Amino acid sequence: MRQAPLLPALAIALPVFGAASILLAWQFLLPWLGVPAYIVPTPTAIFGVFEKNLALLFGNLRPTLVEALAGFVIGNLAGVLLAVLFVHSRMLQAAYFPIVLFFNTIPVLALSPIIILIFGLGMTPKIVIAAVICFFPTLVNMIRGLDSASDSEHELFRVLSATRWEIFWSLRLPRALPMLFSSLRIASATAVIGAIVGEWIGSDKGLGALIIQATFNYQSDRLYAAIVLSSSLSIVLFCAVVLLERRAIRY
Amino acid sequence: MANAIEARKLDVGYGSRRQAVKVLSGLDLTVQAGSFLSILGPSGCGKSTLLRVVADLLEPLGGTISVLGETPHAVRSRRDVGFVFQDSTLLPWRTVRDNVRLPLDVGQGRLTRTIDDRTDQLLALMGLAGFGERLPHQLSGGQRQRVAIARALLGQPQLLLMDEPFGALDEITRDRLNDELLALWRRSRATILFVTHSIAEAAYLGERVIVLAANPGRLVKDMDMRPFKQEANRCSREDPAIISAMAELRSALEQAS
Ligand SMILES: Nc1ncnc2c1ncn2[C@@H]1O[C@H](COP(=O)(O)OP(=O)(O)OP(=O)(O)O)[C@@H](O)[C@H]1O
Ligand SMILES: [Mg+2]
Repeated sequence: MRQAPLLPALAIALPVFGAASILLAWQFLLPWLGVPAYIVPTPTAIFGVFEKNLALLFGNLRPTLVEALAGFVIGNLAGVLLAVLFVHSRMLQAAYFPIVLFFNTIPVLALSPIIILIFGLGMTPKIVIAAVICFFPTLVNMIRGLDSASDSEHELFRVLSATRWEIFWSLRLPRALPMLFSSLRIASATAVIGAIVGEWIGSDKGLGALIIQATFNYQSDRLYAAIVLSSSLSIVLFCAVVLLERRAIRY
Repeated sequence: MANAIEARKLDVGYGSRRQAVKVLSGLDLTVQAGSFLSILGPSGCGKSTLLRVVADLLEPLGGTISVLGETPHAVRSRRDVGFVFQDSTLLPWRTVRDNVRLPLDVGQGRLTRTIDDRTDQLLALMGLAGFGERLPHQLSGGQRQRVAIARALLGQPQLLLMDEPFGALDEITRDRLNDELLALWRRSRATILFVTHSIAEAAYLGERVIVLAANPGRLVKDMDMRPFKQEANRCSREDPAIISAMAELRSALEQAS
């Protein structure tokens, strides 16, 4: 049986209470248990970094933001375009999809040094890594989405003598949108991961670089602040995708 | 006027020509233009398949078929067929109005005649006047089928193919839609091929009822209903003449199954 939904007031109050209880335990329980601050700094210490080193934090947020956004756009766009090509040419799909599948099995971490070798140390390799991570799930989802119209929907368009172009715009594409957006939601997190991984390997700028530096210098409050910031970045991207989805899919 | 449909020794099946599974075999069928034909038959006998061949959604394996005196392809290309599918096949992202308007939005390029935007008229005709801005998921099953019928009628096709359009509806709604359909047909003089599982519906609607049998699909009964009805295909559902005709159809259907 399905449970009755929570009262609106409770639906807001309970998650707030949950988060607050965890933060309080973190603030007071962990130090009391003797967990040293260089392993887990308290929330107030992390918050202190945002006060003291705001310029440093946001200076490093900027390149990561740009790389993640650019990678997100480029990777997803490439995935969508290739999917469109593949569903219109089964021969192309048969010829190249297995190769794409093979590339997807290479872990991004193994691929990133090669990408950095090719593109050097600027922002480009990070964008490429973020794009590569976004690309594959979107390609696969988009192919499935574009093929998801039912037989009778295709027959309806055939009875109306619709052109391939009209079938694409008025049937295949709207049918694909829900699946496209579910992969965009995932990509909103993975694009940030891609940018940060790229910065780990070769960069002195960005949240990834900040994380590495802070780790080696035992500045764990700074490390945690960088983590908070990178997850906030993913959350903002995710929310933007959800807002877009609500406007695009009304049913 | 020419016949709406003339099929001779028609073989139809699925799969490639060389190893096709035959569904209809040697079917001979002539349908007068402007008539209302009901098609009965056990599940899987090829009723939907027959409509598909007429609508040029499927190529016959053998034999000949002409629709409105031409090839099915020619008739489909100039959009003289309307098709109402068993599941209403409304596009969930389009409002009711935009679903009805679909024939105006796609496939216009190959059309020689212009079709008027009769969307509002059709919505009113189908009792959907206030529903234009709703989305399909906000409608009942019966309302959805009405939208599908309005969409099929928008292009004023000469031939209307209906595949169990009211199969999922309750009996009262179905009876009412049957009467609306008959009124529409009398006004438009289009030819209607109407597939159904209900003997009562087939007898009430059709000027003629055919019964198909399965494996292979063939015609086993061809019954002219006009002697049982008054002029313009009018009759009462309780008329003893209709009831006896239904009994005859039932026994043909039982033998076919
Ligand atoms: N796309 C297809 N490919 C292969 N076989 C098919 C296909 N569509 C239908 N068939 C087969 O053709 C036969 C006739 O199918 P059809 O859909 O015409 O039956 P029907 O009389 O409309 O049945 P129902 O009353 O259940 O709708 C069935 O045996 C079915 O399995
Ligand atoms: Mg059928």
